[in-house]
Amino acid sequence: MTRDQRDLDELVKRLLADPANSDHPMHYALSQLWLAHRELLNRIERITHVSDAYQSIAREREMSLAERFDKQLRQLEKVARISDRYQQMMRELNIALEEASTHDVLTALANRRLLMERLKAETERAGRLQHDFCVAMVDIDHFKQVNDQHGHDTGDRVLIEIARVMQAEVREYDLCGRWGGEEFLILLPELDLASAQVVVERVRLGIRNLAIRQGTEALTITVSAGLAAHLPGESYSDTINRADAALLRAKQHGRDCLVLAS
Amino acid sequence: MSDFSIPRSQSTPAIQGNWSEGVLSMQGDSYPENSYELFHQVFEWVERFLQDAGRPLTLELHLLYLNTSSIKAMMDIFDLLEAAHHAGQPVAVNWHYDKRNERVADLAEEFKEDCTFPFAIVGF
Repeated sequence: MTRDQRDLDELVKRLLADPANSDHPMHYALSQLWLAHRELLNRIERITHVSDAYQSIAREREMSLAERFDKQLRQLEKVARISDRYQQMMRELNIALEEASTHDVLTALANRRLLMERLKAETERAGRLQHDFCVAMVDIDHFKQVNDQHGHDTGDRVLIEIARVMQAEVREYDLCGRWGGEEFLILLPELDLASAQVVVERVRLGIRNLAIRQGTEALTITVSAGLAAHLPGESYSDTINRADAALLRAKQHGRDCLVLAS
Repeated sequence: MSDFSIPRSQSTPAIQGNWSEGVLSMQGDSYPENSYELFHQVFEWVERFLQDAGRPLTLELHLLYLNTSSIKAMMDIFDLLEAAHHAGQPVAVNWHYDKRNERVADLAEEFKEDCTFPFAIVGF
């Protein structure tokens, strides 16, 4: 309340209280006006009070909403983070599964499933684009004797070492795989028989030069191989069969050699 | 009160609630299409147990993969346990994982982060 207002209030109160003024014609009107004025002031005060209360409720609610929002946001972030990690885990497991389903556990070479997939794709490509490819079947000589004389652990080591040499001696885009047991298959895309022969001979000699330590002695391992070029219109199993037949002839010719399919 | 048991399906874990022993167990993967349907009965059971049983509650979890809504559901259940723990009720979680997959242990650690009740991550 300002000073002027207080002074006015005091003046009115004094005038109304003075008995000398009680008969004045304006006395009644002023007293009524004074009452109405007081009531109005009271009402304004009450309204202000209620309004303040509402404001503080709204403010409290806003703050608790903000708190809840923050909590939910933190939870959401955490859910997203954990979910991402689960997905990452699944992705890695998928890759491992894919690797396991297409590769040989012992040698880490392609397994028969992957070889067949690639043979099929290569056959289709050859048919479409008139490209060459060759298939070599490679079989370890007297592998049963290695197992019998030196045990299966040594046999496994021989397989692993041979796989390593094969992988090292072929070209980057050739595919080496374990066809089964001690038999390997090499798929050589974009090569005619003569050029493929060079690669397979390199593999054969690489394996023969390998010295696998067994106690104090060094094992020498040889392989026999049959090589066939894919013929136009031929299925890949026919190509494999001809390579297999060539391999059989290599075995019959005293092993440790490469025979080309007719 | 009541035991309950949900058999394992291809996309949901096996779940058992043992009221007299105070043990809730889950085994398997969880990626249901409708997580709410699956987990609201679990949530309700836990809520009722904490309210009525007056006994310690232990969760034995053998969970491998959880989809996003299952993660949220598990966090909601852990929130229930956290509140009970603050009210002085004994609750505990044992999260079991195959030692060949350490990543599951890391994920369990993420869940454990905000929990102050006993939360063990046990390799087998």
